[in-house]
Amino acid sequence: MLKWIRWSGLIGFAAVVALLAAFFLLAAGPLVKMAIESVGSKAAGAKVSVDHVSLTLSPLGFELQHLMVANADKPMENLLEFDSAVATVDLGPLLMGKGIIDDLSVNTLRFNTARTTSGALEKKADSGTSGSGQDQDKEPGITEALVSQLPSAEEILARESLKTEAAGKAFTETFDRRQQQLDTALADVPDEAALKQYEVEVKAITTEKITSLDDFNQRKKRLEALRDQFKADKKAVNSAKDLIGETRVEITQRLKDLKAAPGEDLASIRDKYQLNAQGAANLSGLLFGNQAGEWATEALYWYEKIKPYLASGDDEDSEPEYQRPDGRYIHFPTNNPWPEFLVRHSGISAETSAGNLAITGTDLTHQQAVLGRPARIDIDGAGLNKVKGLKLNMILDHRQAIGRDTLTLDVTDWQLDSVNLGLGDTQLESAMGQLQGMAQITSGKGKDELSSRLQGQFGQAAFSGAGHTVFAQELTRALASIKQFTIDARASGALTSPKLEFGSDIDKQLNSAFNQRLREQQDKLEAKLQSKLNDKISEYAGPYADDLQALNTADGSLTDKLAQLEDMARAELDDYVAEQKQEAKDKAQAKADDEADKLKSKAKDKLKSLF
Amino acid sequence: MLSMLANLLKALNSETAPWQISLALCLSLPVALTPFWGLHNLLILLLVLLIRTNIASFLFGLALFSLLAMLIDPLSVRLGESLLANPALIDTWTSLYQSDFWRLMGFNHTLTLGGFVIALVSMAPLFAVMQVLIKQYRSKVMAWVNKLKIVQALKASKFYSIYQSVAG
Repeated sequence: MLKWIRWSGLIGFAAVVALLAAFFLLAAGPLVKMAIESVGSKAAGAKVSVDHVSLTLSPLGFELQHLMVANADKPMENLLEFDSAVATVDLGPLLMGKGIIDDLSVNTLRFNTARTTSGALEKKADSGTSGSGQDQDKEPGITEALVSQLPSAEEILARESLKTEAAGKAFTETFDRRQQQLDTALADVPDEAALKQYEVEVKAITTEKITSLDDFNQRKKRLEALRDQFKADKKAVNSAKDLIGETRVEITQRLKDLKAAPGEDLASIRDKYQLNAQGAANLSGLLFGNQAGEWATEALYWYEKIKPYLASGDDEDSEPEYQRPDGRYIHFPTNNPWPEFLVRHSGISAETSAGNLAITGTDLTHQQAVLGRPARIDIDGAGLNKVKGLKLNMILDHRQAIGRDTLTLDVTDWQLDSVNLGLGDTQLESAMGQLQGMAQITSGKGKDELSSRLQGQFGQAAFSGAGHTVFAQELTRALASIKQFTIDARASGALTSPKLEFGSDIDKQLNSAFNQRLREQQDKLEAKLQSKLNDKISEYAGPYADDLQALNTADGSLTDKLAQLEDMARAELDDYVAEQKQEAKDKAQAKADDEADKLKSKAKDKLKSLF
Repeated sequence: MLSMLANLLKALNSETAPWQISLALCLSLPVALTPFWGLHNLLILLLVLLIRTNIASFLFGLALFSLLAMLIDPLSVRLGESLLANPALIDTWTSLYQSDFWRLMGFNHTLTLGGFVIALVSMAPLFAVMQVLIKQYRSKVMAWVNKLKIVQALKASKFYSIYQSVAG
């Protein structure tokens, strides 16, 4: 049976395995060093260097000496470096090419340290220095930025769609249309000469002596013809009068709109360009805005660096169909999963300018779906230079296609000093703050949404000011009375361009003082705008002012003419009828008197004959 | 490749038992059809070295079946996918997955599992066919082949000189 066995083969096999093991022991350190430098440089976009990597056998692991990661934006600066790190690894997964690190401890991690040689990669040497943080340091504060960002009155007027412009055009159009209608209507109204002629004719008919019945009838006919003419003229006058009334109402309304438009434009522009003091007098923005912006930029930088390594965890499991000819691993439920890379636990001691931080990381992997647990990072700072206690917890959950990263922050007894307000040479000399913050980033397909809130309570506040302007002195006096205040900051929306809101009760207290300063800027601009808008009113309404006055005069004249016509027609005819009546009456009276006299003499004669 | 072929011919023409050649060829099949760097292949190599198989045949088979693998890799992967996703086998895979040894074997890798299963299924028929072919070759073909003019011509070629050097 044993003749089947080739003992030399067994020895050969053992020799091959031993050779492989020896190669692994000797080459592992340099290979890991090469891998860290090569992969790290690609990931960081700048040089990553390790002084020495050695393999340890019990427990199996690696020791790294002095790792430096250069800053891609500032090649003469390290993003981070540490003196030494020890990692213990699992042998089984390592044989399959999986890096499972049971424990990683990093000693003396430092950030933003100086380099003696450039850390730029050769291909990026030309573009590496652009957009450095030094440029950002030179950026103006919020107040200066606010004032400098205000456009000129000319720019605003050219850019905006103004109501004044529209109202002016409407006014012009109305006036022209009504003018045409009035011209037509007034052409039918008798002029002064015609009225005089009427007066002469009426006088001639009514004052001259009627010689006969035919004469009377003839005059009556002429008078009736004149009355018909008066009726027609009266109708024309009334129509013109009505038209003038309507025109006046419409034009008055258009003029009212035109006069109101500049005010509305001004209010709209004021809102749009945030000239109102409420929008800008946000002292919390001045207090923490610039600093918070820098922190947010820094945090965003690190998040963007880390995110690509978190988001790909579900790739293997989410592809239902076979894609690659070299196959793939399918994972099953287990208490001991093997992602491609995993740091089960890491402890890092970091030195920062604010003091020492203890950073612990748990379950750090780019394949959280395989691991089944989210990554967790805790940062703990006790006895920092200006902060008594700092606790920062991050849970990076990318197990599902939609990732959720949650951050909570708790800062106790933060001693603030010499915070420049950037306004009236004032600064916050000292204050003791407590901060509580929460942020959540939801990562969908190509879309990262941020929702965050930071609340702070500050006591023992002391402000100072060295300004000599009235505003600065008033501001300093107002600030002196404030001993405690709160802030409430929120950031929400797209991660790369979130909507920021700063709120604080200190703003209310200082609003009136701050209003004064902005009012000056605002008044100047508003005065300019008002002047420009007034010019526009004159441009539209000016040439028509005389016409409008003439319209009013014509209206009055027509009223007089109408009254005159009515008087003429009615008065002269009334006189003529009365005259004819009186004449007839007189004739009848004379005839009656005559008859009475005759009867009286006849009676007297009869009486005389009796006596 | 010429050396390997010469070695195979030497084995065929020598006193080497047919099963040694057949088994070597069979054992080369899973190594060729699955990813080379795997613990399962290390164990197969141990078998090849430990059992008195013909190593030349193993190397020739490895080269030959590696060419075949390029054609059937997609089929292997698909087979591995379907086996690993088969609901009836999920419990088996899950229990195997709890063991570090089986995970090191790479059973949960689609190409490894698919290629290995194809190799395993093909091994027994291949062994039987190879046994018959080798015996037939030795009893009937070898003498006749040696008389062929083309073989005579080959004997005058570079290939034959290599063969001779190998044969010693």
